[in-house]
Order: sequence, then structure tokens, then C-alpha cells
Amino acid sequence: MLSTLIKTILGISLLSVLLPAQEPPGKKIPSVTLSPPPLASVTRGKPNTVELQFHVSSGFHVNSNKPSAEYLIPTVLKLDAPTDIVLGRITYPEGEQMSFAFAPDEKLSVYSGEFDLAVMVRPLASVLPGNYEFHGQLKYQACDNAACYPPKQLPVRFVVKVVKAPPAPKKNPAQSPHIHN
Amino acid sequence: MKRDPVVIIVVAMVVSLMLVFGFNMTRKTRNNSVPGPQTKGDTAPDFTLQSLEGKSTRLSDFRGQAVLLNFWATWCAPCKIEMPWFVELQKQYGPQGLQIVGVAMDDASTKDIADFAKEMGVNYPVLLGKESVGDAYGGVQFLPENFYIDRNGKLTARAFGLKSRSEIEDDIRAIIASKVTPK
Repeated sequence: MLSTLIKTILGISLLSVLLPAQEPPGKKIPSVTLSPPPLASVTRGKPNTVELQFHVSSGFHVNSNKPSAEYLIPTVLKLDAPTDIVLGRITYPEGEQMSFAFAPDEKLSVYSGEFDLAVMVRPLASVLPGNYEFHGQLKYQACDNAACYPPKQLPVRFVVKVVKAPPAPKKNPAQSPHIHN
Repeated sequence: MKRDPVVIIVVAMVVSLMLVFGFNMTRKTRNNSVPGPQTKGDTAPDFTLQSLEGKSTRLSDFRGQAVLLNFWATWCAPCKIEMPWFVELQKQYGPQGLQIVGVAMDDASTKDIADFAKEMGVNYPVLLGKESVGDAYGGVQFLPENFYIDRNGKLTARAFGLKSRSEIEDDIRAIIASKVTPK
């Protein structure tokens, strides 16, 4: 009987705490985080893609790399590559076309939840095999359903492991015709 | 010993209500702890900022008028929704003593801010914000933030984030209705 009483109290309390309407803006601060990237092996002398996964905190969105209006601040990753590793194109996902309470008739191109960026890197053929660190910043500007937060920069760091290209498959040498005397 | 189920339910409800009340009180206390001027009766912190035209403008220059102080930025989509409302409200209530004052909390150039304001048809002064002014108003950690100041320079309300036009209009009517108190 006593356990029923305790369960009832806990149940009602939990529901009441979870049910209240959405928090007003400013009670939660938006954040974008980089999921720890696995050590990517990249082959020297060849272009390789490194995937970086970012996470936008719940209840917020950031503009995509190609926002729907000129005045909006795009999400941009800027990286510094180690010497002898060429940094190639950074590929951004397409934004989700979403409308919000503050502009129900307008679709904004945004990222929310998880989004992945693909970074092309090409170590020169002369680079010594080993681990190399990239540093950079993800610039983003977040909003929730009613307010926008100043642009922020997230420090980004990841390591790639440069490996030698696997040896080319050996071709059988052309056999000289046997000459029988 | 057998317990009456009705008594158990009543006890459960009373204890639950007490828990919920306590939780909400704690949350309210936290919500009210936003730094900066409090809503009612505080004198709005005075400041001097440059307007888009390069003119030094003091908030206290508008004493005697009802002021809606709007913190905004060019990158803020909800702010862009409010601006056409403000243009109309300034036209409608300006003759009754309303003065909307925009404060751009922006890293954009003065020209970009001016171009944006022009494109939006802004018909009220826009000042170039400074962090110190934002700090005086509680840090202005997100936009838009609106402060309603009566004719005596006292804050009557503040609104964080985008509100409906009717809510904004209600707050405007309240500050317009204020009377100048002779010193």
C-alpha cells in the first residue's frame, strides 16, 4: 500500500514537472559540439575524405551554409592544415527547409540535431607517415523559436593518420619465349 | 492495519501538489534572477550612443515620451519580423508620444546596418549599440529584447524574444498612458 502511495506521488510530480510549456528564450544557451571524430587514416598522395559530425543542442537551430537570406549568418568551417597536407573542399549538407513561429510564411535553411561536414584532405606523397593535427573553428549563429543568439565560434580539432599508399599490385613480368635449341 | 484507499489518494495528491508548488517556486525564483533592470519602476539605465547619421543620442533625451527600446541585429530573423510592426506602430502611436528607439547590437558596418534599416523602411532612430549598454540592460544575450519605458524614464515591462504584435501593442498602450510626474 505504501509503495502505491509513493509511486502515485512520484508519478504525479514527474508529470507536472515535465508538462509545463516551453521555457522562455534565454533560459537555455544554444551550443554546437563536435562529436569526437574517430582517427581517420588518410593515404598520402591521394585525396581522402574526413567526416566531422556536429551536434546542435536540442531546441535550437543554426543557419545552414547557404541560408535563405543574405542577412543571415551561414555556418562555416575554417581549418588550418598541417604543412604538406593540402586542404581541399569542405562539403556542407543541404539545410532543412523549416519555418518557425516567428516567420510561419518563410522557409529558413537550417541545421538542427546532427549534421556532418566532409573535409577533403590530400597529404603530399612526400609526407612522413604519422599523426597530423588539424585546427580550426566552426562559425555559427543559433536561434530558437523566438530569439536569436550572437554568432559564436566553436574550436575544432581533429587528427588524421597519414599512411603509405598500399603497394601497387605486381604484374607478372612478360615471359620471354623459351628458345629450345 | 488496513488503510482507506481514499485517504491514500488524498495524501498522494496533497504531497504531489506540495512538490510541484515547491519546484515551480524554485524555477520562478531562478527566472527572475536575470541580471539588469527589473521590470517595474526601475529607472531605465541612461546611455549615449551614435545614431546611424553620426549624431550622439542620449536615452534621456526622450524623457517625457513613451519609449520602446528595441535591441536587434541584422542577423536576427525574429527581429526582422518585428520591424515592420514597429514602423506601423511608430506611425500610429507617434502622435500620442511613442518613440521607438532601435539599438543595433551588430558587428556589421554602419553602412550595412543603415542599408538594412532603409530596406525595412525604419522610421525611428537606430543607434549603434555597445556591449556596455547591453550589460546595463542585463547582458542582452539574445535578440530581440524590448524594454518599455514610461514618460518618466521608468521601466514598465521587458520582453525577451519575439512576442505577438498584440502583446507589443498592449505594452505600448501602457507606456503611452503614463503621465509625466512633476519633480
